[in-house]
Amino acid sequence: MPELLKPTFRRAVVAVNGSPTDERVVRLVSELARPAKAEVVAVHVVEIDWTMPLDADIAERSEEAQRVLDTAEAVAEQHNYRLEGVLLQARDVGAALVDEAAERQADVLVLGLPYRTRFGGEFAIGRAIPYCFKNAPCTVWVVRDAIPEEPR
Amino acid sequence: MFVIVVGGGKVGYYLTKELVQSGHEVVLMEKDSLRASQIGDEIGSIVVPHDGCEGRYLAKAGANRADIVAAVTGDDEDNLVICQMAKHHFAVPRTIARVNNPKNEVLFRHLGVDEQISPTRMILGSIEENIPVHELLHLAVVGGGELDLIEAQLREDSPAVGQNASALTLPDGCVLFAVIRNEVPLAIRADTLLQAGDKVLGIGRTECEEELQRVLLGEASPD
Repeated sequence: MPELLKPTFRRAVVAVNGSPTDERVVRLVSELARPAKAEVVAVHVVEIDWTMPLDADIAERSEEAQRVLDTAEAVAEQHNYRLEGVLLQARDVGAALVDEAAERQADVLVLGLPYRTRFGGEFAIGRAIPYCFKNAPCTVWVVRDAIPEEPR
Repeated sequence: MFVIVVGGGKVGYYLTKELVQSGHEVVLMEKDSLRASQIGDEIGSIVVPHDGCEGRYLAKAGANRADIVAAVTGDDEDNLVICQMAKHHFAVPRTIARVNNPKNEVLFRHLGVDEQISPTRMILGSIEENIPVHELLHLAVVGGGELDLIEAQLREDSPAVGQNASALTLPDGCVLFAVIRNEVPLAIRADTLLQAGDKVLGIGRTECEEELQRVLLGEASPD
C-alpha cells in the first residue's frame, strides 16, 4: 500500500470472536499500527443473556474466551506486534464494543464480517456492525471476508 | 433489584428510564420492533423486542430471576396474562399491573396480581377529592392490593351523622380511624360524634365497600 494511502491511528479497538476472520483482521491492524506504533486492543465480548446476572461466573466459557484472545495475540506477535487483550461480559456485543472504543478514546473500531447469507440468499450483516456504524464515536472499519466459492 | 417492564409506551418508557437512573437492573419488553429499536437507541441495549405475553420471550427476558414484573401495556388483557404467567410460571415474587379499566381491578386481584395501578382510578380520585360526592372515595390501595384506604364525606342526610362512632355497625374487615373536621384531623374514638361535612377516613377490605358505603352515606345511587 502506498505510504500516503496508509491510514494512521493512535489507538485501535479490534473486535475478535473466535471466527476465522479474526486472523485477517488482527494481521491487517497490526500491519497498519506498526508505523505509528499505535496501541491495539483486541476485545472479545461474551454475551450474557438476561436469564443470568451480568456478573455471573462464566468460568466454563472463559477458557474458550481466553483462547480467542490468545489466538489474537499470537497472530499479532507473528507480525511483530503486541496487542492488549480484553475480555468483556455484556448484554449486547455492539454496545459493549462502542462503549469500549469510547472509553479508550480509540480512533478506530475494527470488526470482521464473515460472508454469510440467510435462508433465501439475503446477505446477513448481524446486529453488532449496524449498531457500531450507528453509534461508535470513532471511525469504524469492517473487514468482510471474500465470498466463498460455490461448491461445484 | 431486577425489574422486567412489559410495554414500551410512554408509561413503560419513562418507568424504565427512572428505574435505570435509580440503579436498578431493568429489561423493557416491547413487541413493536420499530418502537423497541427507537427506545433501544435512546436508553441502551436493555430492550427485548418481543411480546411479553409469550412465555418463551418472558423467559428470554430473564423472568426466572426477576424480582418484579411490571405489566404496563395499554391492554388490560395483556397485562393480566403477563402477570399471571410471571407469577405462576416463573414464580416472580411481585407483579404489578396497569389497569386501564377500573372495573377490571377486582378481576386482577382475584387472579393473583399483587398490585394494580389504575391511572383512571387515580385521576378520578383526584377529581373527586375536591367535589362533594355521594360515594366512597378511594385514596389508595394498600396491603398488597387487598385493602382500600377510603374517605367518605358525610352529608346532612347521611345515616352516620349524629351518631357516635361506636354506634356504627361496620362490616367485618373495616375500621375507621380518623375524621377531618374543618380541615383538622381528629382520631376517631368510640364517643366521636359524627357531623355533616366530616370527612371520615377508613381502611377496609374491598368486598366490604358496599356495606361501608351504606352505613356511612346510605344507599349508593343506581348509576
